Amino acid sequence: MRWFQLLLIIACAVVVAFLLLPLVALFLRVSPGDLIAALGSGVALDALIVTLKTSAIAHLLILGFGTPAAYLLATKRWRGHSATVALIELPLVLPPVVAGIALLSVFGRLGLLGETMDVLGISISFTQAAVVLAVVFVASPFFVRQAIVAFEGVDTGLLEAARTLRASPWRVFSRVALPLAARGLATGSALAFVRGLGEFGATIIFAGSFRGVTQTLPLAIYGELDQDFEAAIAISVLLVLISAALLTAIRWVPSWNPFTLTSR
Amino acid sequence: MGAIVESLHVDFALARRNFDVELSFGLDHGLMAIAGPSGSGKTTLLRTIAGLERPMRGRIGFRDESWFDSERRIDLPPEKRRVGMVFQDFALFPHLSVRDNVAFGGTDRADEMLERMRLRDLQHERPVSLSGGERQRVALARALATNPLVLLLDEPMASLDPALRNEVRAELRDLLGEVAIPTLLVTHDFEDAAALAETIAVMADGKLLQVGTPSELVAAPRDGFVASLTGANVIKGRARAAGDGLSRVDLDGGHTVYSTDAAEGEVDVVVYPWDVAVSLELTQGSTLNHITAPIDSSVVFGNRTRVRLGPVVAELTSASSERLGLEKGMTAIASFKATATRLIPR
Amino acid sequence: MTKLAVLVAMLAVTGGCGRDGAEAGSRPLTVFAASSLTEVFPELEPRARYQFAGSDDLALQLREGAGADVLAAASLNYSAELHDEGVVGQPVVFATNRLVLAVPEDNPGGIRSVDDLSAPDVRLVIGAEGVPVGDYTRQVLDNLDATAVLESVVSEEEDVKAIVSKIALGEADAGFVYTTDVRSAEEDILSIELPAEAQPTVEYTIAVVSESERKTEAQDFIDLVLSDEGVEALEAAGFGTP
Repeated sequence: MRWFQLLLIIACAVVVAFLLLPLVALFLRVSPGDLIAALGSGVALDALIVTLKTSAIAHLLILGFGTPAAYLLATKRWRGHSATVALIELPLVLPPVVAGIALLSVFGRLGLLGETMDVLGISISFTQAAVVLAVVFVASPFFVRQAIVAFEGVDTGLLEAARTLRASPWRVFSRVALPLAARGLATGSALAFVRGLGEFGATIIFAGSFRGVTQTLPLAIYGELDQDFEAAIAISVLLVLISAALLTAIRWVPSWNPFTLTSR
Repeated sequence: MGAIVESLHVDFALARRNFDVELSFGLDHGLMAIAGPSGSGKTTLLRTIAGLERPMRGRIGFRDESWFDSERRIDLPPEKRRVGMVFQDFALFPHLSVRDNVAFGGTDRADEMLERMRLRDLQHERPVSLSGGERQRVALARALATNPLVLLLDEPMASLDPALRNEVRAELRDLLGEVAIPTLLVTHDFEDAAALAETIAVMADGKLLQVGTPSELVAAPRDGFVASLTGANVIKGRARAAGDGLSRVDLDGGHTVYSTDAAEGEVDVVVYPWDVAVSLELTQGSTLNHITAPIDSSVVFGNRTRVRLGPVVAELTSASSERLGLEKGMTAIASFKATATRLIPR
Repeated sequence: MTKLAVLVAMLAVTGGCGRDGAEAGSRPLTVFAASSLTEVFPELEPRARYQFAGSDDLALQLREGAGADVLAAASLNYSAELHDEGVVGQPVVFATNRLVLAVPEDNPGGIRSVDDLSAPDVRLVIGAEGVPVGDYTRQVLDNLDATAVLESVVSEEEDVKAIVSKIALGEADAGFVYTTDVRSAEEDILSIELPAEAQPTVEYTIAVVSESERKTEAQDFIDLVLSDEGVEALEAAGFGTP
């Protein structure tokens, strides 16, 4: 079966090359000196601050609501269970632009909640809150999905054992389920965060683009593309580096394989 | 009846795929083993007492604490029942040290338990670096550290290396001997049950068939099933009276034996392997029953050998087996007394 | 719901991020054109294939080697630059446009003139710097001595159609767009004329892309645009002709 092995290797090489080449080309396009200079530019820094701020808040919301939601979905079953999961995964298959329109239809001035919000004096359009909402909408499925799998991967026997040891449902979650699901949760978290960093379509529709307020890194790339190509590349490289760093960081979180007692 | 309500009282019915688990018993003190084949509902029984499964109806409780009562709509979750459970695979928390495992349910008695179970030197280790016997002790310590009213053990020997079984079993027996609370242990291995417990309940298809001491069960099994579970030969046959106070039984497969039990019609003939002698020549002796047949198999375990010839398994010392030169294929004679031949009507 | 449909249609047509490569075989003529020409050009010549985007975006794509035959930009600058670089041939002015101040049809911000834009809480959307409509907007405000109005900007778009959609959806109180955009948006937008003296010179130029393999057809297209038929179509859409 040597030819089969060869086929596998070739296929793998093609995939790696295809994914690597654009990134390498990106890095080759600009010298490190220009990179640093462009990064120090006002646009890049403003975009970085906006991105970090909105991504951080969005991420806290995703983790805060997503973790308990995933735990419930992983440990209990009810009649509408699969429908609920399908619903949560919906934004995954939605084109970001459509997500932006959908958000406008709810939170926009003329949207479903528009009048109510107007009365309450709340206005979301063109604010950082809008960016946060857009990021939460498109990135949360990445986390929740992974989190469900992570919690499902925890040996139910351990959860039951905890219960016989007088642990309240909260204690079972916090001292057994959570630590053992940590790796999966970290993976989901990194994926969601990275997805949120790169969010473009929904943001530009729902929040608009204004430097220092709503112009995130991806929006800045788009904006600088036609004016200062070098700056656009620099910001792109920055995004790639942040994403790569996050994905690598996952490896430090201990993973508990349910079939052995070891952590990888 | 003026019956004293036993400390642990269990009475429930729970539907399973092929049968209903339906039983009613009590345990006041000491250790009771529930022995039965895989799938008979033993683990379900323990899980129901612990609160991990909910029966359709019944009452489960300890003294005047009611854990489950279908009529009064009481169903306490596991964390509210003072039950200590040792799971089949021990279910030790892999991410916690031995000490943190034992102290999981509360730190008060943790140190005491670590001491009692000789785990103090291992307390900072993780479960992954422990041997099977050590893990068992941690599981036991952990369950007892919460000061439960009842201790439940699910197949405690099942996940252990067979080579170490005897050793660990002896250790477990000692440890359980020190436990002051009523203990329920389930196992599919009658020998384990007999070694560890004073009282054994035989369970099959969700029901309890017979309860007694190990020797009572071996000596007077209620039916063929209990007999075969306790390791006896169980052979089908048809019995009729034969004079001299004996019954004659024609076995399926062709041989004839006699028994001092009175029975007519279809019966299970029960003979214990250690009551069967093996010889190469027919001798005049006090045994009435002889079966001549080629040896099908000969299995050695330790200093004993079990030899199968015809429908019957005989157990003899390995020394004797070697002395006789018993081998597969040889024709030999299995002999046993009519008084050792029990008949149980089918 | 109509506003939503309008938005979706505009976005589908604009499709800013597509990068078309050259295809082998008999492919139709490829025309890169400024977004404002979205309605006019396809009506004039339905057989060609169009890519509509901000002129700066189109310039970038051409520089990176996108396979187009004709470039119709919303300003002279980009075409001139590209011509100097040898990317396109000699640009010819074929149409003019006017900048207007647009508001949603229910005018939630109560805007009646450029001065009203300075009111607090006004949500103004304009084009980004470098995008023709953005540069023109800044010129107009400079001419009117009203650059303080820029304080009210909440979003800078890369594409004039994006400005239109935000106004049509009622999200923005006002925005600067071309008069041709207002006409194509039908009932959802109202326009406020700007003083004629303040109008910048909005000139649309057209040129053949140097690397095109269909120069003759490209030139035919340009001739069509400059012909009486072309002029009629452009004027009907609201463009001026030189």
